[in-house]
Amino acid sequence: MSIAAADKTTATETVPRAGRRWRLGGLRRLILAPLFFLAVMVALEIGVPLSGVSSMTMVPPSAVIEALQQHYAILLQQAVPTLKEVVMGFALASLLGIVLGAAIASSERVRQALYPNMVFFQVIPKIALAPLFIVWLGVGTPSRLAFAVFIAFFPIAVSTATGLSSTSRDALRLCRSLTASPWQTFLAVRFPYAVPYIFAGLKVGVTMSVIGIVVGEFVTAQAGLGYIVMFTSSAAETALALSAILLLCGIGVGLFLLVSLAEFVVVRRLGAPIPAGEFA
Amino acid sequence: MADATIPGAATGSAASGRAAWLVNAALPWILPIGTAACVLAVWEAVVRIWSIPAVNLPAPTAIATNFVKTFGTLAYHAQYTGAEAVGALFIAIAVGTVLAGIMSASPFMRDMLQPNIVAFQLVPKVALAPLFVIWLGIGSESRLFFATFLSFFPIVVSTTAGLQQTDPTAIRLCRSLTATSGQIFFQVRVPFALPYFFNGLKISATMCVIGVVIAEFISAQAGLGFYILLASSRAETTAIFAALVMLCVIGLAIFGAVILAERVARRWYSG
Repeated sequence: MSIAAADKTTATETVPRAGRRWRLGGLRRLILAPLFFLAVMVALEIGVPLSGVSSMTMVPPSAVIEALQQHYAILLQQAVPTLKEVVMGFALASLLGIVLGAAIASSERVRQALYPNMVFFQVIPKIALAPLFIVWLGVGTPSRLAFAVFIAFFPIAVSTATGLSSTSRDALRLCRSLTASPWQTFLAVRFPYAVPYIFAGLKVGVTMSVIGIVVGEFVTAQAGLGYIVMFTSSAAETALALSAILLLCGIGVGLFLLVSLAEFVVVRRLGAPIPAGEFA
Repeated sequence: MADATIPGAATGSAASGRAAWLVNAALPWILPIGTAACVLAVWEAVVRIWSIPAVNLPAPTAIATNFVKTFGTLAYHAQYTGAEAVGALFIAIAVGTVLAGIMSASPFMRDMLQPNIVAFQLVPKVALAPLFVIWLGIGSESRLFFATFLSFFPIVVSTTAGLQQTDPTAIRLCRSLTATSGQIFFQVRVPFALPYFFNGLKISATMCVIGVVIAEFISAQAGLGFYILLASSRAETTAIFAALVMLCVIGLAIFGAVILAERVARRWYSG
């Protein structure tokens, strides 16, 4: 069903513009972006040495790859704690966020009481609390983990609550007229309808948990890729800093793709059988 | 809800019916504020009863006292943080909307840039903060551009989505009425894209403050991020919280300004 809906949207998008050049447009869409990325890299590769800036300021991409190869042992060694903490932080934040989101959506009164406060918390710059977590939990893993959970769970909780409370009213009425218990309604209707919202929150959350751990490593400066970035950049070893950033990007994108894969699997198994729009 | 209480009120006294209706109408306001007040009260009580040292967790009243006492210092630091955040947001709006306009006007540019921008969204851009200091020095520029860098992506992505999702029927109608593409852009696409633009802007409004604070953690001689780091190195937790209150004020002021701008823009376009 969702595939059919996706087909419908792409059809309306492409028909008025491309017409019979559709095939060419599809190909262009696939290769233009990587080509552009490649062009930027080539421009950096040629332009950086030509411009004569020192290797402290900027280095060509090849130097970053070289630094990655040269120091890959230490970089990988530092990547392990970062990756571990990011995954643990994300898992905790997901659990906490989904449970709290479900609690918020469980009753109208609870929702009214908590939701505006959650949105308020979303708006304030929580990053500024990072040094406080060190005061509370020391400079070790617990403080970074707690900080990552703290900033990653809000988007998950808010979107879970939104998803659970945006079930179609007609579907809920149908359940009631079929004498479904609230728990049955939750499992069979409300939760499947909320799955896309929950995953939207999880996708934001996974990026936030990487950010949380990296900022934590900036502030505590003990180990991890964030510490390497901080240390090497203050020593003006830009190539090494950029290669650590490259690894961090790999972690961020890799985890995001994993969440997207999980979404694909879960939506196939659990996804709402009827698109919300068809009830209206 | 209101319907249910009014018939019951007719049998009782009219005054109590109105009171019930008022309570129901005010509940969406009372409940969240009441919850926040309860949390603060519990916090205060816990700190006092167990006499938790202020280094670990200061009481809300102590934070308020500290905030009032150091207001001058906080305002001095807030002025840098606030100015840099607002400046960054304005640059982000300018760059973001122009880029979104270009991408919606030219399918070529869109196919070329959009996937790269979306991919960049996933990258932990925060890790680049120290590099901005290397590139731009420890002055205001590095913080300004880092905050711009963080806050312009949401604007580009959501404005582009908005400009693309214009109702095709409306565009066909305009074309059949021989509107130029410039007219279509400003009179159809832009109003359609406004809600999307403001959605992105709301995210950016929080990101720009976050960007400035992170950059201040790394390099600054002034600003609330600097003040927080300094206070934490002296273990003055109360001062950290007071600075945080100031940061919230800045964040909420910028967010409120965005909401206000959204109202004005929507009224302008619907009128």
